[in-house]
Amino acid sequence: MKKYLRHIYLFAFITVAYILLPVMNADYLYTIQENNVFISGHTFMMDIIQHEGGWITWVACYLTQFFYYPWLGSTILIAMWVVIYWATIKMLNISNKWSFLALILPLLLLYHLLDYGYWIYYAKLPGLPFRLTIIVLNYMLITWGVLFMTRKIRNWQIRGLVGISILGIIIISFWLWPTSPWHFNDKHRNSITTTLTDKNFKHELRMYRALDEFRFEDVLNEMPTKGQVPTNLMVLYKNIALMHTGQMDRMFETGNCGIKPDTGDSLKIRTSLLGAPIIYYMFGHINYSYRWAMENSVQYGLSFRSLKMMVRCAIFNQEFEVAAKYISLLKSSTFHRQWAIEHEAWMMNSTTFFQSKEYQTLSPLLSENTNLLDGDDGLCEQYLLEYFSDLNHPTTPLLENVTMCMSLWAKDYYAFCIHFYDYVNNHPNSPIPILYQEGAILLGNAEESPITLDQFRFDDIVTNKYNGFIQDYNQLLQQGIGEKEMASRLKPLYGNTYWWYYYFYNDFNIY
Amino acid sequence: MKLKNTLSIAVMAALLVACRHLDVPSDAQMESRLPKIYPDYTEVTVPANICPLNFAVLEDESETVARLTFPGGAYIYGKNQKILIDEMEWKEMLNSAKGKEIKVEVFAKIGDTWKAYQPFNIYVAEDSIDEYISYRAIQPSYVAYEKLSINQRNLTNFDEREIYNNMSVSSEKVGQCINCHSYKNFKTDNMLFHMRQGYGGTMIVSNGELKKVDLKTDETLSAGVYPSWHPTKNFIAFSTNKTGQSFHTKNLNKIEVQDTESDLILYDVDKNEVSIISELDEELEVFPTWSPDGKKLYFCSAHFEYYNDSIEKSAEMIQRYKEVKYNLYSVDFDPDTKEFSNVEMIYDAADSLGQSVTLPRVSPDGKFLLFVQAEYGCFHVWHADADIYMMDLNTLKVQKMDALNSERSESYPTWSSNGRWIMVDSRRDDGNYTRPYIAYFDKKGKVHKPFMLPQKDPYFYTFYLRSFNRPEFMIEPVNITPQQFAAKAKEDAIPAKYADR
Repeated sequence: MKKYLRHIYLFAFITVAYILLPVMNADYLYTIQENNVFISGHTFMMDIIQHEGGWITWVACYLTQFFYYPWLGSTILIAMWVVIYWATIKMLNISNKWSFLALILPLLLLYHLLDYGYWIYYAKLPGLPFRLTIIVLNYMLITWGVLFMTRKIRNWQIRGLVGISILGIIIISFWLWPTSPWHFNDKHRNSITTTLTDKNFKHELRMYRALDEFRFEDVLNEMPTKGQVPTNLMVLYKNIALMHTGQMDRMFETGNCGIKPDTGDSLKIRTSLLGAPIIYYMFGHINYSYRWAMENSVQYGLSFRSLKMMVRCAIFNQEFEVAAKYISLLKSSTFHRQWAIEHEAWMMNSTTFFQSKEYQTLSPLLSENTNLLDGDDGLCEQYLLEYFSDLNHPTTPLLENVTMCMSLWAKDYYAFCIHFYDYVNNHPNSPIPILYQEGAILLGNAEESPITLDQFRFDDIVTNKYNGFIQDYNQLLQQGIGEKEMASRLKPLYGNTYWWYYYFYNDFNIY
Repeated sequence: MKLKNTLSIAVMAALLVACRHLDVPSDAQMESRLPKIYPDYTEVTVPANICPLNFAVLEDESETVARLTFPGGAYIYGKNQKILIDEMEWKEMLNSAKGKEIKVEVFAKIGDTWKAYQPFNIYVAEDSIDEYISYRAIQPSYVAYEKLSINQRNLTNFDEREIYNNMSVSSEKVGQCINCHSYKNFKTDNMLFHMRQGYGGTMIVSNGELKKVDLKTDETLSAGVYPSWHPTKNFIAFSTNKTGQSFHTKNLNKIEVQDTESDLILYDVDKNEVSIISELDEELEVFPTWSPDGKKLYFCSAHFEYYNDSIEKSAEMIQRYKEVKYNLYSVDFDPDTKEFSNVEMIYDAADSLGQSVTLPRVSPDGKFLLFVQAEYGCFHVWHADADIYMMDLNTLKVQKMDALNSERSESYPTWSSNGRWIMVDSRRDDGNYTRPYIAYFDKKGKVHKPFMLPQKDPYFYTFYLRSFNRPEFMIEPVNITPQQFAAKAKEDAIPAKYADR
């Protein structure tokens, strides 16, 4: 048994690594790959290798591509850790019994990879999953080479001197080489708990990918139904999916109260980086989507994610030459080549484009042609809420619904009233969706109400429920119940109504 | 022994392949059109000292050959889709063809068939071009910036190096934006560039000595922004600007950069003194540029009256952005007394034409003035309708430079030191990334077809994701190293004094 101990330790490590990487964190690894870029060719190579440690970065970027299939990237990475394990045993001549010590470095590297959490968007470290591993391997090979070459020197003092010199060089270069690939962001990070245990973080990763691939039902399925409070970004993603499946009026019954993620460290989460390009794209704001894809690639490094967004935007804007430029870059990648070819076909053949699911989905939002000179101050969600709340006389049914829902979401009841009157005038013989009835009843009963309720016929069930809500609310108020407790007590009955959102969701922390 | 023989044969075979004699196909089918090549160097006129015009053939071919015939002979090149010209042979061709042309015949193998396209000429001017240009390498971003550098490129070969890189002193929250490099009389012993935010200040090289100054005074709007060195005295005219950015939701111009306020100042480098040239309340003065004798200052100015007190100036500017239109002015200057007099509008673009003029540049002989014109605003690099115009300064007649323009933005025109070459920044390639184009301006005043700044790899521009911003000619390289600039950048800026007029 002792004879196989080193194999048993290794097998255990490989099993744990596979569980923690492709099994539990496939979306995390896929997103790291999406935030990375590797372009074949001289220009990209020169751009990378001109910096200190550039070759390591270049190789790391190349290998990071393989996380497109998380199991594949993980296999390559784990194989490198296995080499480190065996090399450590061989170099230090570790016995079977103590061979678990050779797992220290691979375990630290595994920990390091998982310790990013939300930092995967912010860390300016191209090829981050492989950089440290390559550096460690590099030094091990150098050390091994030196030991091999000095194997015939019997004088242990000289060998010791060589060994200390190597160690010294490593340590000194670590400190003196500020832009080196092993100089990590000096901000405090403690994100392994986010990566491993934060369900919202994982939901966000999956929702983004589903949204990016126009799998709206999958976005909706990711939304937690009970107990778990979603993040603002999840709410936004969910509402986009509802919008594009014709269910936006279900936004409050499907949970519309998000929170800002608590990362527990110095990181300031920004929707503009996490999702603004796709969010603007889904709302048909092509220029702003392009802008944030560009801004993010300038600030945090070019990525496959940004490149693909810029291709889509350029095609929608009929800027085919610049789209072709980005497509050329993507075509030179290993795993995004097919995506690039498919989108190149959109440019070559407008019928293919007009028949594409993306165009069909977004075209109702593109009919609003008025150009505005504007700005979002980096707050994408707030901008969209204000933009659509203020949008007068929407030209398509989808835009009509979006303006109504966004004004309710923003609690902008004057804007809602305008949209509501438009809606009922445009659909005189159609039933009013429950959400809009809830909004109208609430605002119609408010002081200085801009809505006169007499002229509308609301469903009895909605009216009665509202009366019940007000009665229960007043009752709790008279009992001196605090707002938080009141919200909790009323949630089982009214949590799926706009009224509950309107009264109790006051912590709208836009980020 | 066997291994040795095999190796010898392999080496011989490799040598044979490497030394394969390139020839043009004799049985090629003639095509009645020019070949599709990138960059488009067909029928361009080039300086007698320019680097090789390497190009790619875009005919979906498997092999390409090009024969370049010049008065002294011919050379043949070809490598996959690329025509990469030997630098020594190119120099021989230029010397031989000075004042004449190099004929280029392109052959492409499509499937099993070789095709021969209509030949084109590359005309070689008698005149040479300044050996260097410098430009700011910047991604066409909006608000964000990270890595920016000012680079210098040798036009006679492909050598390029950074003059200064903003990441060398700081990054992220204390990161620097660097801009507006400028040279006195095309030389680099008097030059400047500006740094904003982290370690902010203006880096000025005066007679070879580097200093960092803070040109913002209590009496002026901002530090110096758009500069112009006086040609004979150690003065620099700057604009001072309060600038903002806003974004189009639909318009493909995408972004507007607007000045809510702007004035003109004069900086006396030796005395470290700033004084006001013009600060009229309802005028937005910008883009000063000196005449070559230093006795006139040209600038642009837009008349703009704010009348909505209930909102911020920037908000009103955004609402009325299309109303901001700049005219072209001149003002006389006495270099000895530093007195300005006789302001004159020399081109009424706003009221007469409903247009806006920016970025004026006077030719080294003082006869012509290039500028950019578009429908509105001051930041024409983002305006697709922006085109280059030229004014004859004797007659004040203006003509549109059709040979220089495209359907997309042209901006930042500038002259070479001998006045025979015009360089403009153009977005004609893809509408988003600016590239330098150089055109010959012959003695008769004719502008020839411009050529894109040549690169060693013809596909360089496809893969390069930065713009060439504000390209400037220089007759010599900047010799101060990036490290020297960085060391100075870390020092505190010397505050400029304000001198009342």
